[in-house]
Amino acid sequence: MRDEHRLLIALQDLDIMIKEVKDKATSKELQSLGFKLTGLSELQEAREKLAKKTPKGLLQRYEKLTEHFTVAILPVTGNLCLGCFVKLPTSFFSAVSRNELQTCENCGRLLYIP
Amino acid sequence: MKSMEASKLISFFEEDLCIFHLRSRKKMSVLTEIVHHLAVNNKISDEHFIIEMLKNRESLGSTGLGNGVAFPHGRSLAIKELSVLFARSASGLDFDALDGKPTKIFFLILAPSDKGSETYLAILSELIGLIQKPAKLKNLFEVTDYQALVKILEDKDL
Ligand SMILES: [Zn+2]
Repeated sequence: MRDEHRLLIALQDLDIMIKEVKDKATSKELQSLGFKLTGLSELQEAREKLAKKTPKGLLQRYEKLTEHFTVAILPVTGNLCLGCFVKLPTSFFSAVSRNELQTCENCGRLLYIP
Repeated sequence: MKSMEASKLISFFEEDLCIFHLRSRKKMSVLTEIVHHLAVNNKISDEHFIIEMLKNRESLGSTGLGNGVAFPHGRSLAIKELSVLFARSASGLDFDALDGKPTKIFFLILAPSDKGSETYLAILSELIGLIQKPAKLKNLFEVTDYQALVKILEDKDL
């Protein structure tokens, strides 16, 4: 997997966490269990740092997708896009494609083979 | 929040995913040790992403809730399936717990990104409820094998 793709995966993980903290029901639940969620600004700082390192075109593509989807980039397990559950073509798994970030033809999410 | 049956909760604990003698003595090295254990057991596709995620989670606020217990948790693209790991440190270590006391046991709960947060929240909630009883906690601090762990978790009188 290329380094730029790794950056995007880390960014997606972080964005999911930030979204959870910002979600009132989830953060209320976590706080009621005793967790203190005081470091949102630290998470946002870490996010900015990662975003700066990510190549611009790739970041734009990702951010456009996150306008529609919580999870914009996904690993492929089996032969399905786990975003929309459409079967992926066999060409998807060719040796050439293995290291590339690909796009689900049905939903547009970014897909990678872990 | 839906509650979970005790038997369902215990079914998440796998013998291979229990560490009864943690070697690490520091917060970050404990995270590394437990994540490595998951990788060895094929539960994750990449250690680096999980460690980063857990570090970020700790910067949001320590998951060391006090009373000697911590609940590191989160979701990542590198998690293959919902996984629960139990780890114990006989001497305890500084995990930035909210009460400042050493942390002796860890329940790590990880969920894949394509599942919602409710999957791990239900487990978290159930586990936190379970360890409220001081007698149960005391037993967990001393547990050194899987059968005993399951027994303690199951025991309604504890
Ligand atoms: Zn799709």
